[in-house]
Amino acid sequence: MIRHHPDENLLLEYASGSLARGPSLVVAAHVQMCADCRSHFHTLNNLGGSLLNGSPAQPLQANAFERLMQRINQTPDKVAEKGEDTPIGEQIDQDPVLEHLPRVLYQLLNRNPNRHWKSLTRNLQICRLKSGQNDYEVAFHRLRSGSGLPKHDHRGQEFALVLNGSFSDHRGIYGRGDFVLCEPGQVHKPIATQDMDCLCFSAVAAPVALTGISGLFLNPLISFCPG
Amino acid sequence: MAHRQRHNSNGIAVKASQDYKDDWSRLLTQVGTQRDRQAFERVFRHFAPLIKGFHHSRSTQALNIETADELVQEVMLKVWHKAPRFDQGKASASTWIFTIMRNCRIDMLRRSQRHQNRDSDVDVADIWDENLENQPLLFLQHKRNERDIADGLSALPSEQSHILEKAYMEGKSHSEISEELRLPLGTVKSRVRLAMKKLQARFVR
Repeated sequence: MIRHHPDENLLLEYASGSLARGPSLVVAAHVQMCADCRSHFHTLNNLGGSLLNGSPAQPLQANAFERLMQRINQTPDKVAEKGEDTPIGEQIDQDPVLEHLPRVLYQLLNRNPNRHWKSLTRNLQICRLKSGQNDYEVAFHRLRSGSGLPKHDHRGQEFALVLNGSFSDHRGIYGRGDFVLCEPGQVHKPIATQDMDCLCFSAVAAPVALTGISGLFLNPLISFCPG
Repeated sequence: MAHRQRHNSNGIAVKASQDYKDDWSRLLTQVGTQRDRQAFERVFRHFAPLIKGFHHSRSTQALNIETADELVQEVMLKVWHKAPRFDQGKASASTWIFTIMRNCRIDMLRRSQRHQNRDSDVDVADIWDENLENQPLLFLQHKRNERDIADGLSALPSEQSHILEKAYMEGKSHSEISEELRLPLGTVKSRVRLAMKKLQARFVR
């Protein structure tokens, strides 16, 4: 049961196309997992459709339709359709950690054949992904079951989605499908639950700053790699 | 297929509910199943000027006129190619065309930015899914949702609909809107929430 969702404002930014690509990936993955948000997303698309219906019609360039038909005649349907669907489910089978992901994340993994897991601390691993943008670090994080992260705050917004296992912090417990937004300045100390490793997907706007003494040692490890 | 239109406080025309007959969805289905070019021309003549006006008109200059014309071509090309996947049980023609238009615009803006590695680029339609399965809502419920939104839109106070238009037509984030209108971010957010609450008032989730 999914209990934590992106709020109305974030969903609207996503549906209207004004949300940056990094967070959009996280919201899209959540929407693919969450029937409630999917239904909400449809409503927001309907709003877009209504705004389109009501927009002031503007005259087109002369021959706009004829020019288009010329292009259509030059592109056979089959060729055009082929380019649309990227096959999914290749190249990921070797990594059992990454099973049962929402479709958009499979697409992202397929675009990152050279990805690798890297240990940030004894209990925390990261797998950074290129996603064709420079403003957010997009990555999977794996936190070992029963272990915690040092207390840290967020210099920039962090959008995260729990994919497997669960973790808790002072605000609550987050399980599969739950969407977590950390605002700049928020401090938290997430701990993975005992039963299994916790896998998250996230987009982070700026480096996560560690507070407290362990931060002095750990900070250099957490380098910011947008992409 | 003439639609009587009325105007809300911003001068944005909104279809009156009694005119809500979705002939366009039927025509678009014909384009998809029969590759009917005459049906496509009618869809084009109706929607292409709306797509242009959505991005460039007296009330909005989200795109310059050349880019708006280019976008029209891109969107309608996609509409033709993707029409076989259009399912009027899932969305109306205008909603479906909106999703394609939004995705084209995202793609176009990205192409205009300097961009490093296209190989790692996830297809825009994977992030903003055009054929996302919804819960098995009945066809009539979809229709009702769409009709309620169209009706509700014309009844919104202008300070709320204005913000929705900025988000959808100009592709602006809440913080960009807050800067531009010199309103606190919290005010922008609460206006959006109020607007959505009104639009969905009669729609049971």
